[in-house]
Amino acid sequence: MTNKKVVEIFFDVVSPYSRFAFETLCRYRPHWDMELRLRPFFLGGVMQGSGNKPPATNASKAAYLMTDLQRCADYFGLELRQPQNFWDVMVTKGTIKTQRFITAVDLKHPQFTEQLSKEMWKRIWEQDIDATEPASLKEAAQKAGMSEAVIDDALSAMNSAEVKDTLRAVTQEALDLGCFGAPFIVAHVNGKKEAFFGADRFPILAMVIGETWKGPLPGKSSRL
Amino acid sequence: MTNKKVVEIFFDVVSPYSRFAFETLCRYRPHWDMELRLRPFFLGGVMQGSGNKPPATNASKAAYLMTDLQRCADYFGLELRQPQNFWDVMVTKGTIKTQRFITAVDLKHPQFTEQLSKEMWKRIWEQAAQKAGMSEAVIDDALSAMNSAEVKDTLRAVTQEALDLGCFGAPFIVAHVNGKKEAFFGADRFPILAMVIGETWKGPLPGKSSRL
Repeated sequence: MTNKKVVEIFFDVVSPYSRFAFETLCRYRPHWDMELRLRPFFLGGVMQGSGNKPPATNASKAAYLMTDLQRCADYFGLELRQPQNFWDVMVTKGTIKTQRFITAVDLKHPQFTEQLSKEMWKRIWEQDIDATEPASLKEAAQKAGMSEAVIDDALSAMNSAEVKDTLRAVTQEALDLGCFGAPFIVAHVNGKKEAFFGADRFPILAMVIGETWKGPLPGKSSRL
Repeated sequence: MTNKKVVEIFFDVVSPYSRFAFETLCRYRPHWDMELRLRPFFLGGVMQGSGNKPPATNASKAAYLMTDLQRCADYFGLELRQPQNFWDVMVTKGTIKTQRFITAVDLKHPQFTEQLSKEMWKRIWEQAAQKAGMSEAVIDDALSAMNSAEVKDTLRAVTQEALDLGCFGAPFIVAHVNGKKEAFFGADRFPILAMVIGETWKGPLPGKSSRL
């Protein structure tokens, strides 16, 4: 049990907006009296369960996204390079394997979840390289500081019933809270769960949990 | 021609997020070196032209909207009471007449566009025009003009202008930056708009509250 304010972020590394939100919340650990819980889930399952469709399936939204993502990346102080074949990344391959691997790590070695997830976002959204095959997962895990033993353990566990069930359950948990996309941030306030969709509700999240929003780069830039 | 930074807001009073963005930009007139242009358009036409659907047509989004709108209203310092029959307001009635009326006013008496739109958001239809300070003569003029070809064509043209800029919803803010038009969807891109036009974002209530 914790006395700190619990803030959970449900995320899938296929989602660049999830990256903005994830990185920002991690930056706020020293600034907010918050216990941050990282909840890897499966965005494909959220779409199915909520009847929603990714914004990129609308041509005007897809075009707008290209510009919005670049500006947001600048704003959040992150690099971003659009995948050459976005449809391939998002639909053909998808991130079920990636999210299972992250879940496997999170179950047994949660101290690596944050860095591993960040490495996966870099692969997809900066380097435009694969993040689904075992060799790719291994490379990202190595960069996250995981030992060979821990990596092999996660690679064999990722297809187990336990990991698949966990990923399914976390996804369902988000759906039950009304989720229809990613990122999905849930703040526990006075025994109630307040849900926030997107990476653009930070000032309102701060207002609701009684903290101060200091912009996307707290302590580094006063720009809001 | 102006030396100030031109910022346009395309809006329809059926959209509560448009209200948040509209009120905020009006508040920023003394704070930003900006020429604010109010562009009434027709969101129904935008949906048709872009193949998008209002978020409320998805059950999960509709439920989320109820909460998000209340929190945003608090954040932006505005009152908000959900229409009892939201579908009725948005779909059955729609706002084609409202937006035509605002367009008619904007064509002949643009000094009233801001207050009239704000009144429409406060209370659809009824005494909105009187509350905006328009005289009986001006009101009658706009009421008869609203169904003219000129007004209908203008509303259609402004809506198409937004569509041509890639619009798929409201509010839609367009900033002119170095001869280029930068478009922003929604009422949640103000810090990024400020970054792009080289101004400082001071939160939704500049000069009244330092809360960001």
